[in-house]
Amino acid sequence: MAMAKTSFANRRRGTLLLIGLLVASAAGFSALKAATDRIARKKIPGSSIIYIPSGKFLKHATFGYRALAADAIYLWAIQYYSTPAIDDRFDHLDHIFAIINELDLRFQDPYEIGAMIAVQGALELRAERPEQAAKAMRDAFTILDRGAANNPDQWVYPFNAGHIALINLRDYALAEKYFEQCMKIPGAPEFVERLRANAIFKKGDLQTSWETWLDIYNRAPDERTKKIASNHLYRVKATIDRGALEKALAEYRQRSGRLPSDLAALVRTGLLREVPKDLDGKDYVYDPATGSVKTGISPWRR
Amino acid sequence: MADAIRIQDLRKNFRLGFIPKTREILKGITFAVREGEIFGYLGPNGAGKTTTIKCLLGLIRPDAGTIEILGRSHLSPRSREPLGFLPENPYFYDYLTAREFLAFTADLFGLGRREKEDRIRRLLALVGLERAADLPLRKYSRGMLQRAGLAQALINDPKLVILDEPLGGMDPIGRKEIRDIIVRFKDEGKTVFFTSHILQDIEMICDRVAIIVGGRIVKEGALRDLVSERVLFTEATVAGLPPAAFAGLGESVSAQGDRVLLRIFDESKVDKVLDLVRGQKGRLLSLSPRTETLEDIFVETVTRT
Amino acid sequence: MKIRAIAGITFKEAKRDRVLYLLFFFAALGIVASRVLALLTVGDRIKIIKDVGLASISLFGVLMAILIGTGLVYKEIDKKTIFTLLAKPLHRAEFILGKFLGLVMTLFVMTLTMSIIFLAIVFAHTLRIEGALLVAVAYIFLELVLITAVAILFSSFSTPILSSLFALGFYLIGHLSWGLELILKKMAPGAGRTFVRALYTVLPDLENFNFKTEVVHGLAIPPAIYLSSFVYGLCYTVFILALAILIFRRRDFI
Repeated sequence: MAMAKTSFANRRRGTLLLIGLLVASAAGFSALKAATDRIARKKIPGSSIIYIPSGKFLKHATFGYRALAADAIYLWAIQYYSTPAIDDRFDHLDHIFAIINELDLRFQDPYEIGAMIAVQGALELRAERPEQAAKAMRDAFTILDRGAANNPDQWVYPFNAGHIALINLRDYALAEKYFEQCMKIPGAPEFVERLRANAIFKKGDLQTSWETWLDIYNRAPDERTKKIASNHLYRVKATIDRGALEKALAEYRQRSGRLPSDLAALVRTGLLREVPKDLDGKDYVYDPATGSVKTGISPWRR
Repeated sequence: MADAIRIQDLRKNFRLGFIPKTREILKGITFAVREGEIFGYLGPNGAGKTTTIKCLLGLIRPDAGTIEILGRSHLSPRSREPLGFLPENPYFYDYLTAREFLAFTADLFGLGRREKEDRIRRLLALVGLERAADLPLRKYSRGMLQRAGLAQALINDPKLVILDEPLGGMDPIGRKEIRDIIVRFKDEGKTVFFTSHILQDIEMICDRVAIIVGGRIVKEGALRDLVSERVLFTEATVAGLPPAAFAGLGESVSAQGDRVLLRIFDESKVDKVLDLVRGQKGRLLSLSPRTETLEDIFVETVTRT
Repeated sequence: MKIRAIAGITFKEAKRDRVLYLLFFFAALGIVASRVLALLTVGDRIKIIKDVGLASISLFGVLMAILIGTGLVYKEIDKKTIFTLLAKPLHRAEFILGKFLGLVMTLFVMTLTMSIIFLAIVFAHTLRIEGALLVAVAYIFLELVLITAVAILFSSFSTPILSSLFALGFYLIGHLSWGLELILKKMAPGAGRTFVRALYTVLPDLENFNFKTEVVHGLAIPPAIYLSSFVYGLCYTVFILALAILIFRRRDFI
């Protein structure tokens, strides 16, 4: 019977050992869970969670396969937007791309391509449905803004946005803002500041444009850049000068009922202090018949 | 002579059903099996035979009581080292061949490589499965499976062999073979513990038996002691005389043609019957005294309980 | 050793399971199809290939672990082969561990094969062998090992269908740990919060083994997390196996 007792004791010991192992391993993984949580993984920042069926929700409903889900939806979207037969496909453009972006914040292609599709849509809809076209254009910016927000190290997004503002929208103030944003990102191409300067010029703020170009000229690292800056400075000055001249000409005409025979007349009558010369010191070309003032040479051919 | 198996006051309840109802299966089993003997464990269906064996083997944990196997408590897996077990309807891994299965079983006993190969070869020869040794077990017939089962029960050259209904479903030749093997075990010094329904076989080879009815041992002892040599009746087959001729002497069980089967309960009347047959010029075809068999004991015990 | 013997026959048995090869076929199909899918994209093709490849290995690996693991112990009990097995001088723990190791070996072979196909496809595209991808696969394998332990745990006391559901549930809960984290952030301190915190700690966090996104984007992975996640997985697996053994020990085989 003593044999039985020791075997019982053995079995008891076995059970205790297992329970001990259970508790120890539980303590182990609990502690490690806390430790692992503290390690900041390059997990995508800014993932706030709102329980609405948006990309944010979907991200967590895909059980670790969110990147794959992003791919799948993106692939589908490409096919979808390549189908011209679908008339109203641009209606939910931003929603769809928002989902893709949320699922994989660092998936770069959808931001750019999404914006591109949006601009395409805007152009397509412009004739028939101007409201939708406007919305599509706004979507392009929304997508690119999101791209910039989620990937602050990527200069492409503000660049693309500036480009769209400049070319498609002709909103020069907006273009300027984006180019400025782009400039600040390390790795941005050097010509972006010139694009900005040009946008300021197109915006009509000639004084700032002059100062900006002058700054670029002074900082120019090579001859080519200097030349470009110089050409732009020429143009800005030409525009300023022309503005002044045309203002004076209009006054002269008002006073005397006709255009002067030459620009010196404006000085003689006291409307101008002196006849401005272009940046190279050359005269502007004045046509007394039409009253137009032009530069003697194209700024780009100096 | 030490005890190969010693069971004391074994109890087991089962809780079955969705709303658990407790059923007492073993209500305090006590018996012992001595080393070197052949022990038969009998009982009607549902009495608790298989449950007892499962407790022995550690498949079921008893609620109370102790079990010792060759001096070791059954709680330790080591108690099963000198054990060989053949279950009632053997189920083995059907994707293994007999050889692979025996090799696996040998590994479970920690046998060395040479010893393993040696024993597998011998056992396959013993049970007559050499030619089928490399066929997967799922291709085996019932009889072949039984033999494979026997081989795996012997792989560790056990001192105690436990067989659950080893003779069930076999033809008379198969039964004889198994009986011979069991007797040979005894000659080799092994202890055999087996359950069976076929009482004639038990009667033929067992030294001691225990009868379990309703979860209790109702009879235990040497076969010799349980079954007396008392003659219950004498059976005689006679030809040439009508049944009526034997009135008062015995009970005529059946009459076919001119043959009469007679049961004579009073021993003193036997001679009178013989005289009658000789006197009337009849023919005595057979005369056999019927002693009490195990079956009689069994039926009586079960109906009494 | 006895565990090794049981692991050996478990491996032999699992190898024969047709479900294994069916799932493997689909995984391979998925990996190869990623090349085709990549043609549909505008932009970075290799990203799609990597995403689909890793996802295939992960998803089908989990299915393999669950579908085969939940049947392992149950089949033995159902077919009564367990009677002859446990009648041997064997600890019940050795049985569970043997089954576990056998299935882990099977999954290892499957994962390795799938990885080779995957790397070959990536190589065909980039002409480079990317070691970082193997890191992601290695941790996918660790997750599979844990799921296997869970499948065996449930298989030791439940039918295959229920076990599969429970194991799947475990997997899903493991990837929703973030949800509890959120709830925690919004709860006021108190008994409720302590309870949720306890739940959050004890329930599995399988995202610890998920390096798919980082590897595909080439983001840096802080080295501390390799060790941390590995030991976490180890501890949790030990926990599950200990639980399985405790439950299995107490079982009566009627």
